[in-house]
Amino acid sequence: MTLLTDHDTVTLVRLLKMAYPHEAFPDGPYERTAQAVLAAVAGAPRQLAQLIQGLHDLDELREVPFAELDDDTALTVLRGIHEAAFFKNVRGVAVVALYDDHEVWDLLGYEGPSFDKGGYVDRGFNDLDWLPEPKISIEEASA
Amino acid sequence: MSRFDADDDDVVVVVGSGAGGGTLANELCQRGIRTVVLEAGPHLTGKDYHNDEWQAFSQMAWTDPRTTSGSWRLATDFPTLPAWIVKAVGGTTTHWAGATPRFKEHEFRIRSTYSDIDGASLLDWPITLTELEPYYDQAEVKMGSSHLHGRPPLPANNNYKVFANGAERVGYRRYATGPYATNAEPYDDRPATVQDGFNFQGDKGGSKWSTLVAELPKAEKTGKLDLRPDSHAVQILHDTRGRATAVLYTDSEGTLRRQRARVVCVAGNSIETPRLLLLSASALFPAGLGNSSGQVGRNYMRHTTATVWGQYDQPVRMYRGETMAGCIQDESRLDTSRGFAGGYYMQTIALGPAFFASFVAPGTWGPDFTSHMDAYRDTAGMWIVGEDMPQADNRVTLNDGVLDQHGLPVANVHFDDHPNDVAMREHAQRQGQAVYEAVGAKRTIVTPPYPSTHNLGTCRMSERPVDGVVDRHGRAHDVPNLFVSDGSQFTSGAAANPTLTIVALAIRQAEYIAGEYRRQGA
Repeated sequence: MTLLTDHDTVTLVRLLKMAYPHEAFPDGPYERTAQAVLAAVAGAPRQLAQLIQGLHDLDELREVPFAELDDDTALTVLRGIHEAAFFKNVRGVAVVALYDDHEVWDLLGYEGPSFDKGGYVDRGFNDLDWLPEPKISIEEASA
Repeated sequence: MSRFDADDDDVVVVVGSGAGGGTLANELCQRGIRTVVLEAGPHLTGKDYHNDEWQAFSQMAWTDPRTTSGSWRLATDFPTLPAWIVKAVGGTTTHWAGATPRFKEHEFRIRSTYSDIDGASLLDWPITLTELEPYYDQAEVKMGSSHLHGRPPLPANNNYKVFANGAERVGYRRYATGPYATNAEPYDDRPATVQDGFNFQGDKGGSKWSTLVAELPKAEKTGKLDLRPDSHAVQILHDTRGRATAVLYTDSEGTLRRQRARVVCVAGNSIETPRLLLLSASALFPAGLGNSSGQVGRNYMRHTTATVWGQYDQPVRMYRGETMAGCIQDESRLDTSRGFAGGYYMQTIALGPAFFASFVAPGTWGPDFTSHMDAYRDTAGMWIVGEDMPQADNRVTLNDGVLDQHGLPVANVHFDDHPNDVAMREHAQRQGQAVYEAVGAKRTIVTPPYPSTHNLGTCRMSERPVDGVVDRHGRAHDVPNLFVSDGSQFTSGAAANPTLTIVALAIRQAEYIAGEYRRQGA
């Protein structure tokens, strides 16, 4: 991956934070997602070439490098290039990698594998208490 | 496991081990008929499955290359993945959710019911509900459908509580946690569900009916089953009289093998089944085996589907518990005053964040997208499944420009939405949103169709050979010992999830084939 610099990785992480902004997310999931993007293009020369060019282009679109833009400006820049092949490729990997990250699962309130813990039969599969208990069968007489 | 000789020509060869093939094989074995099942995928079992959506998808899904065309949105969102079905022993019964509604009487007679609809190739089934009812009973007993034949209902889970309360408040009355073929209590040597929420991912516990845990083990006990995983059928051979004689398949090493057969039954799901018949073209059958009508691959249906999500200011945790143990039947009625033919069901559905992110709004990103994700825990979900119109040009063809790992042309799946499909989908989306808004949703989200899990109609049943591929027993009009045994047979798709009907037809077909064996002396 010597063709991409540390600066490119910084730009990519910033791109991911702007494309998938979550106030509650720390840097870790975005950094891991950036690594997933880099791993995905490592074996795909065309996509790697597009990524190299695309990250470079992002730095040229305003007076300051992309990673230093304020959030609103960065989002505007991304909207301007949303059809770019490299950005589509990045999103294709990121939407899978970011939300498959177990730290992200915790942050979103998802509990992950459950079978080995006995499922949810005794752990709240029916613990919603802000609505009445509904009927579970059709009463044919009243239908 | 029994092993029959490749030259044994008294066996039935069944291609595919899912709802159709797996059930048919068991029913044939129970009747003493030696049966070879060729399954393209590996033999995974409960301990192999992952409680993880992407790992499970990578492990189970049929991801061999396919292509798409047509105006359907899937051709844009998931152009190489038209269907979300399984390549493994048990087929897509290892992925299905478990909903088992029956077809309604008029849904077997759509031509008579709706007359002519522009652009649609409507045809009545050659069989009626009355004829199928005894087999529906057998299928429901076999599958342990909840609410029926003494099986208790599933309890209400969190996702269902939102769904059912919303249904009640908009005036729906026909809603319940089933019928649903997963055990609420132990039944048929299978345990009660632990409500783990991973029945799309194989169901590690085996409380859900599948051919993997129910039909194939029973078939094996008869000593009449020879189940061959990693065996991908590539061609059906025939003799000069036009009778099927053998199936060529590749084994796990990629070696081409031949299994002779007295009867061949194809149950590869509604994309692979027509593909195999088309790949079996010969001098005698230049357009593909059993395709003198030109109907093989046509009239592809995939149900009119969509998903509606409701997001609340309180937790739902939809992922806990049985995924699809909730069904609203009210909109499945015959009522063309709604502006469309056919009906639809609303059923609970849940995805984990990994799949929710990929499917909630494909291709989107930015703050709107992530606000959907931030409310994940507080989200309730429902799936819409309704009848779509058969259309002659919605079809599976061979794409000679793209080859799979065996060098075989892949299937291209062409689909254009019919205006009736669009009208139904829009109606269902509005109704789904109303259900969630009735219990205080702060936002609703409408999600376009996923890759198709219900693939139907590509070798349809017809009274007249010119109108379809198989007869009232699923026997090819052109080839007397060739049967189609999966959802490809469906003359129309109805609103109901298809598995129950596939199983009922397989039981009926096994009875017919066994009768033929007896009549001709086995």
